[in-house]
Amino acid sequence: MGDDGPVTARSIGEALALRLGRSLAVSGTADEVLVSVERTEMRPVVDILQGLGGRHVMLVGLDLRGLEPTAGLAVEEILAIPDGPIVRIRVELPVEGPSYPSLTSLTPAAQWDEREVRDLLGITPAGHPDPRPLVLHETVPGLAHPLLKVRPAGPPPPAEAYHPLVAHGDGVYELPVGPIHAGVIEPGHFRFSAVGESVLHLDARLFYAHRGLERLVEGRTFDGALLIVERACGVCTVTHATAFSRAVERLTDTIVPARARMGRVMLAELERMYNHVGDMGNICAGVGFHFGTSQLGWLKERLLRLNEGLTGHRFLTGVAAPGGLRLEFDPTALAGLSRAVQAIDLDIRRVVRLLVRSESFMARLHGAGVVSGESARQLGAVGVAARASGLSADLRRDRPADGYAELDVPLVTAAAGDVAARFHVRAQEAAVSAALVRDLADRLPEGPIRAPLGHPPEIGASTVVGAEGPRGASWIWLMAGRDARVERLHLRSASFANWPVVVAAVPGNLVPDFPLINKSFELCYACTDR
Amino acid sequence: MPFDVLRRLLGPLREPVATSRYPDAEPLLQPATHGLPEVDPTRCERDRACVAVCPTQALRVDDDGWWLDSGRCVFCSACALACPHDAIRLGSRIELASRDRRDLVVLTPLGGPR
Repeated sequence: MGDDGPVTARSIGEALALRLGRSLAVSGTADEVLVSVERTEMRPVVDILQGLGGRHVMLVGLDLRGLEPTAGLAVEEILAIPDGPIVRIRVELPVEGPSYPSLTSLTPAAQWDEREVRDLLGITPAGHPDPRPLVLHETVPGLAHPLLKVRPAGPPPPAEAYHPLVAHGDGVYELPVGPIHAGVIEPGHFRFSAVGESVLHLDARLFYAHRGLERLVEGRTFDGALLIVERACGVCTVTHATAFSRAVERLTDTIVPARARMGRVMLAELERMYNHVGDMGNICAGVGFHFGTSQLGWLKERLLRLNEGLTGHRFLTGVAAPGGLRLEFDPTALAGLSRAVQAIDLDIRRVVRLLVRSESFMARLHGAGVVSGESARQLGAVGVAARASGLSADLRRDRPADGYAELDVPLVTAAAGDVAARFHVRAQEAAVSAALVRDLADRLPEGPIRAPLGHPPEIGASTVVGAEGPRGASWIWLMAGRDARVERLHLRSASFANWPVVVAAVPGNLVPDFPLINKSFELCYACTDR
Repeated sequence: MPFDVLRRLLGPLREPVATSRYPDAEPLLQPATHGLPEVDPTRCERDRACVAVCPTQALRVDDDGWWLDSGRCVFCSACALACPHDAIRLGSRIELASRDRRDLVVLTPLGGPR
């Protein structure tokens, strides 16, 4: 079917009807399609869409009783079709014993989403190969299924114990690391099974920083929810705020003014630039090369000060908002932005040149933490992690929104899939971001920065929006409730998608290379745990 | 090349100092920096537009004046954007640590009750 034209809502409906032997209710636009299926049809439908090149984006669980007391629960598996729409496959489930056939064996990238849905809504992915708890920890009991809109009668079920998956055998030992680490970093427990210096298996336990943000935003106004969404972590603030804002704009048919559309791109590129520079510095820290750590740390600081001068905030919070931008850029800082970024860009290139010519440094990076293109695709890697393994995945090109539709962002990829590849991709992308910021700073369109929302959102209307951040594609799933408030919001952060890739990159490497491999992904715990 | 070696060794001495003298000197803030919100008592009309929009309920206006709980403020600037009299700006105060929770609540007198 891919041969005879682009994949559209209609062609998807036809392909599914042909395979399933019945016509399906398919609704939506050129960008986004919603298909309602029976539980038994879910796996065949995912299979067909993967045959069309569809890639897993996320799986969301919902409790529809917040809007309709007699309704039940639902799960939505969402796939992105290349050069085609986002397809949302919705299956409605009963309140009692909700269960659907697990998709993980078809699309391994869904493994964590399915475990999360099980923890937060009590929906069982039947046949999941690893049905251990993910989000909820036994140390905080009584939290079972916090995203249900109606608390089940009776006492909450006892918290499930977590058993790390470890290897056994002669000479195999376990090495527990964390959740409290030597550096000022976020919490995660890593259980290595090792033989000598080599890692056989890694079991990573996260979600120590689970704050229930998705529950917290329910019932809030969009402006109120924005504050929480953009603070889910301190890395992808612009990315998350922009994805959320665009989701609200889509539900309300809001037209964003030109200055804001370009301004958001400029903010996103400033965010990418300071993160890539800081992340390269952290790769240096991963091998104890302090020259690089301090040089790049200082360059990151200069970028953070640029952010502060431009927007008042070093991490760029409080600017992107539904309808456009909340604040105008500082005029003096904007006038000097291009020149300041040029100076920093030159210094970044100078430091990177010194680093890549340092053979003892690069020797540590080459061949460490290799992720093959096939693994990256299967596990659903996004961002630098995907592009350094040769995948052409960049939402700025694949699904251009805001000002990106009018810009040509060059795709940066590398083939090796190792730490060095991730370092090189970042270095080149930082240069691309610098060029984009300089270009936009000089020709930001004049005019208003924020438009009022087009109309109140329909009750129960929902949409899915992604944005490419420093860690990769982050997605917002948003459903509007009564009085233009949030009924359900799911943040599938880029870090959430990439953590299973880190875990897969480590076996076969030396135990002391783990910090380096981990830093080459430099994932966030905060927005993964939410 | 001995000259080259000499240049490389002495070069860093010509580099300017990258760090600032904070806390011995004032912090390097910029005009746009979002510090703690400040109210201009001569402009405030006590219409409580700021109180209504504050997403964290950090603001209160009563006969004593304008109360800001800096322990609740998230520096979002909603109050400054909402004020119809342009009486609020995010100022340059960034050193907010306190040993006592109560000291985080700051009063700006607005003059007598209206």
